[in-house]
Amino acid sequence: MSELLNENFHIEKTSLFDFHNQMNAKMVSFGGYYLPINYAGGIISEHIHTRSKASIFDVSHMGQIEINGPFIMEALEKILPISFSKMLPGKVKYTQFINHEGKIIDDLMVHRTDNENSVWLVVNAACKEKDIEHLRASLNKNFDINLRNDLSLIAIQGPKAEESLLKLIPSLLNMDFMSSNWTNHKNYKILVTRCGYTGEDGFEISVPNKYVTSFTESLLKNPDVKLAGLGARDSLRLEAGLCLYGHDISLKTSPIEAGLKWSLCKDRVSSADFIGGNAIRVEVNKGPVRSLLGFLPKGRAPAREGTLIYDSNDNLIGEVTSGGFSPSLGVPISMGYINTPSLDQKEIFLDVRGKKIPADVVKLPFVPHNYFKKGD
Amino acid sequence: MSDIFYTKDHEWIKVNGNEGIVGITAYASEQLGDIVFVELPQKGTIFDQGKDVAVIESVKAASEIYNPTSGEIIEINSSLEENPEIINDDPLLAGWLYKIKISNSEELKNLMNEEDYKKLIEG
Repeated sequence: MSELLNENFHIEKTSLFDFHNQMNAKMVSFGGYYLPINYAGGIISEHIHTRSKASIFDVSHMGQIEINGPFIMEALEKILPISFSKMLPGKVKYTQFINHEGKIIDDLMVHRTDNENSVWLVVNAACKEKDIEHLRASLNKNFDINLRNDLSLIAIQGPKAEESLLKLIPSLLNMDFMSSNWTNHKNYKILVTRCGYTGEDGFEISVPNKYVTSFTESLLKNPDVKLAGLGARDSLRLEAGLCLYGHDISLKTSPIEAGLKWSLCKDRVSSADFIGGNAIRVEVNKGPVRSLLGFLPKGRAPAREGTLIYDSNDNLIGEVTSGGFSPSLGVPISMGYINTPSLDQKEIFLDVRGKKIPADVVKLPFVPHNYFKKGD
Repeated sequence: MSDIFYTKDHEWIKVNGNEGIVGITAYASEQLGDIVFVELPQKGTIFDQGKDVAVIESVKAASEIYNPTSGEIIEINSSLEENPEIINDDPLLAGWLYKIKISNSEELKNLMNEEDYKKLIEG
């Protein structure tokens, strides 16, 4: 069991590093940062608490990028398959940076702000440098690309997230899902976005580094709110069928294969006037060569990333990209790609350490999303 | 003299005559976190010292278990199939993995006693 021992190499610390240690977090390195995998209660209890109440996650490793300059929205539409004209100021969209081959450089959140000369992006930690390079190469030099290392990012997720946040900031009542709002709290400015990565209602909140610990402590005064680590974040997003960059999506996969066509603006796909647009349009017309699906293995053995998938005639038909145990369902779950000719297979076989485990093919998500809709 | 020996990979073996009971240490159980699946060897199979003999899966990852001494598997803890979390609750007693008939007790000299193991995990 020697793989238990973490290697010690240089990794960045978030502003909550000391706080995590005080809270008895088990720290690991992830995306170049030292972050909690879980706290004392363990992954399963943090997971279940998030689905029933609310949990706080430190996601300060994510890259928060502000880009300023005249006509920034027009410029970004040359590299993103979205239409800012269809977004009101304050709206947020999930999208991807796509390369000329139609594959995914990174997935991200993009905010249309109240200022038409300013756009806000939130990108994956491990992709920050690659993304900024891509932005610099694709955008005119006049744009100011600013990685906001002065801000931390925490997520509060779960059915009690809104109630808990309103106790501190009552003005946030009834924010739309996928919208964001700069607001003042105790004389500092924070950016609140109603979104998340768990399938639950929730918020991601950008807070100046020097206030993030006290802000987190204020949220934790509510007994409904607890801390959760990367372990629960991963099992929650897997149940919710949400892709993890570097695993379910990467430079080898396209948004169409990954079931992310919904996130691409239809008109932009037909006009194909963005980097990778031609490849995407061709793929949409021809259909993808494989598709991302969910699998429910029989028995208790989890089928993890890299598990090969076979049909009943022992033909290799795909591969698992994420897999583990679902604390909400109490069974193992996996997601991965199946080649198009085999998509009608009702039962497939997962090769776990040489044993062919039968599994049902299911549509994602495994656990229904519980996002906020106005009028609920 | 203690009859419990430890490996550097955090397995323990409790020796009684030419039989041993094998499990993982409390430290290992704590490091792994919530255990959700255990794959045990088949009764009657023979494993050399240091061979991967079982797999323990936590929510996080799959970890291999290395056999502390050569021998034949004579019994497995089948209650772990339905309730693998027993290992987290009681790694040193109820959470044992398998019993082995030790074929070469000289190999026990390659293992650690409790004191040395404590030094290892306290680093």
